[in-house]
Amino acid sequence: MNQSLLGLLLYIFLVAPPVAKFMELNMVIHMHMQMTGLVIAGYLMARFFQIRFPGFFEKWNHNGVPGIMLFVITALYWMLPRSMDEALTVQAVELFKFISLPFFAGIGLRDGWKKLAPIVKNSIIIGFAILFLALGWLYIWSPEQLCNNYLVIEQIALGWGFLTTAIAMVIYLAYRFFIDPSAYE
Amino acid sequence: METAIPKTSFKDKTNKVLGINPQDALISKLYMSVSFIALLIGGILGLVQGLNRAGLLELPSWLNYYQVLTAHGLLLVLVFTAFFTIGYFYAALSHTLGGLLPVVRKMAWVGFSLKIVGFVLAVVPIIMNEASVMYTFYPPMAAHPAFYIGLALIVVGVWVCAFGAFIQVANWRKNNKGQHVPILAYFATAVFILLFFGSVPVAIEVLVMIIPWSIGWVETINVMVARTLFWAFGHTLVNIWYLTAVSAWYVVVPKIMGGRRWSDVLTRVVIIGLVVMNITGGFHHQIVDPAINEVVKYMHVFMSLAIGFPSLMTAFALFAVFERTARRKGGKGLIGWWKKMPWGDVRFLAPFIAMVAFIPAGAGGIAQSTNQLDGVVHNTMWIVGHFHLTLGMSVAMTFFGISYWLVPYISKRVLTPAMNRLGVIQTILWTVGMIFMSGAMHWVGLLGSPRRTSYTTYGDHATALSWDPYLTFLAVGGTLLIIAVILQVYAVFNMMFFAPKGDTEFPIAEEEDNATKTPYWTERWGIWIVVMLIVVAMAYVIPLTDMIVNAPPGSPPFKTW
Repeated sequence: MNQSLLGLLLYIFLVAPPVAKFMELNMVIHMHMQMTGLVIAGYLMARFFQIRFPGFFEKWNHNGVPGIMLFVITALYWMLPRSMDEALTVQAVELFKFISLPFFAGIGLRDGWKKLAPIVKNSIIIGFAILFLALGWLYIWSPEQLCNNYLVIEQIALGWGFLTTAIAMVIYLAYRFFIDPSAYE
Repeated sequence: METAIPKTSFKDKTNKVLGINPQDALISKLYMSVSFIALLIGGILGLVQGLNRAGLLELPSWLNYYQVLTAHGLLLVLVFTAFFTIGYFYAALSHTLGGLLPVVRKMAWVGFSLKIVGFVLAVVPIIMNEASVMYTFYPPMAAHPAFYIGLALIVVGVWVCAFGAFIQVANWRKNNKGQHVPILAYFATAVFILLFFGSVPVAIEVLVMIIPWSIGWVETINVMVARTLFWAFGHTLVNIWYLTAVSAWYVVVPKIMGGRRWSDVLTRVVIIGLVVMNITGGFHHQIVDPAINEVVKYMHVFMSLAIGFPSLMTAFALFAVFERTARRKGGKGLIGWWKKMPWGDVRFLAPFIAMVAFIPAGAGGIAQSTNQLDGVVHNTMWIVGHFHLTLGMSVAMTFFGISYWLVPYISKRVLTPAMNRLGVIQTILWTVGMIFMSGAMHWVGLLGSPRRTSYTTYGDHATALSWDPYLTFLAVGGTLLIIAVILQVYAVFNMMFFAPKGDTEFPIAEEEDNATKTPYWTERWGIWIVVMLIVVAMAYVIPLTDMIVNAPPGSPPFKTW
């Protein structure tokens, strides 16, 4: 099975109402699993668009920066508590979530990432690690309920989800920093 | 680097001509000896336990059922398996990576000493009946602190061995740039990664929570957090044994049959899959715990069943190897090719029966990770039957099968036809014994007989009395098993010290001639470990946050025996 089809199947699975509803029941599953899943679905489907419209990507994303900008902006938007709330209460925003995450963030990431210089790649990971630490801190220690639709306990779980993901990113950066792949490959 | 390459290949050559380096062989022999002595003692305790549980044997006043259960479990679940796994993989690393590095050898010795010291520390309180906690770290039952300190030392000993293996593999990769790590060393890497990361949660549980609590520095413990950390380790440990057995199925069994290895890519993908998805499987052991909400349990059914997927790939690959090899040897017909398999060779027969046993064992496991089905069997003898089928059949029999070539290999001796015959008899005895015992356990569990309970008729209640015939079957099976244990231990020490001298091959099957090239991403363990950590984080944040933030009052230590 080629990966574009796999991505499409994953996309259909994730937007299917019972699955979507289940994943939106819990804050951390909503943000860290459903949204990440949608980006991964787009990432896989991107192959189809890259083959189908090579000229488009060459013209608009030849150095990778526009693609990665699209990814970063989309990802940042969906990390705002308010946008999550709206996705649950306003149907148009829910629709926007199902379009923006795979088709803006996923495809942008796939087409942009490989074209970037290593230093830019590392900067992006460092940036996200810092952001995740900050958001983790915010969600864990905020005395207020930040999302109308989720309880404080779920907010704390999401905070720990951010912190642990940030730790994994730091471990990855340390691995990249200390281990020289050219010594092995 | 250029000088290093011929050096390694020279080492390889000498390795092939002279066999294993005597110093490396000593390490493996030592680990094997401890492993099989543990099997003997643990086996005898198992028989005592089985006879007592069936109401056929009254224990003396100085020995109680729970004490025997603890020692039996500790010896077989921890000592037999861990020492075998490390001894086997260190022999494999030595063989496939051109001999152990001096520093790695030292680490193996340090690890060994730490484990033995830890083991003695843990055994003393068991003998004194101060630690009859049924070999788990399961608050609120609390053992003597020495029991936990001993087990923590065993964990540290395992870590030292794990890092020894990592150093060995990293060194080989530096000297063999761009090449794939040989398949058995690849399995070893995965097993030691799991041993390390899987034991981190239990180390946190024991060091941070249980030891201060059992000494009395803190009054209470968060029971749910402790159990969750325990099962993150417990489930991983189960899969470490399984992955060790699987390594022999993929790599050794095809060679013994005279065949080739099935897809190298598939093998490595299965290994990565098992490493990435394993630790989170721990939750299905807590599926009836009331403190985990249904959404999380539902999510974890998927995470548990995901581990079944690589196993199905394994089943497919192995039966494909059997059929291909048998047909190449002239096997014909839909089923006729079965006749061409080397049934009389214990090195094949034992792991083969082990694999077949994994079919019902795995199916039972899937049933248990389903909430409603588990509701019927949880805390009954069914569970005990299940893990005797998985550990006692699939894993232990594969280990036995390995011993019939590994022990002669490290001892520079040979497997004689007489010993092979003894091995076949031992395998059959073990199989029949385990079918009786595990079968009876499964059945009587379905009828409601509880686990972790010594023999009682509940005031001659009719239901409890109806379990008795099954429990007798259990005792019959246990008796057959102890005969098989004695034969197995005799075989191991005979092959180690008394068998005729000679060269035994370390059987590693080659790939098929037209095999597809394995992609290099399979070698990037750094990335797979990060993926594994993210999966673990995702699985654990919701329940752990809930258990800690909404914690009920903690529990003081209980001594229930």
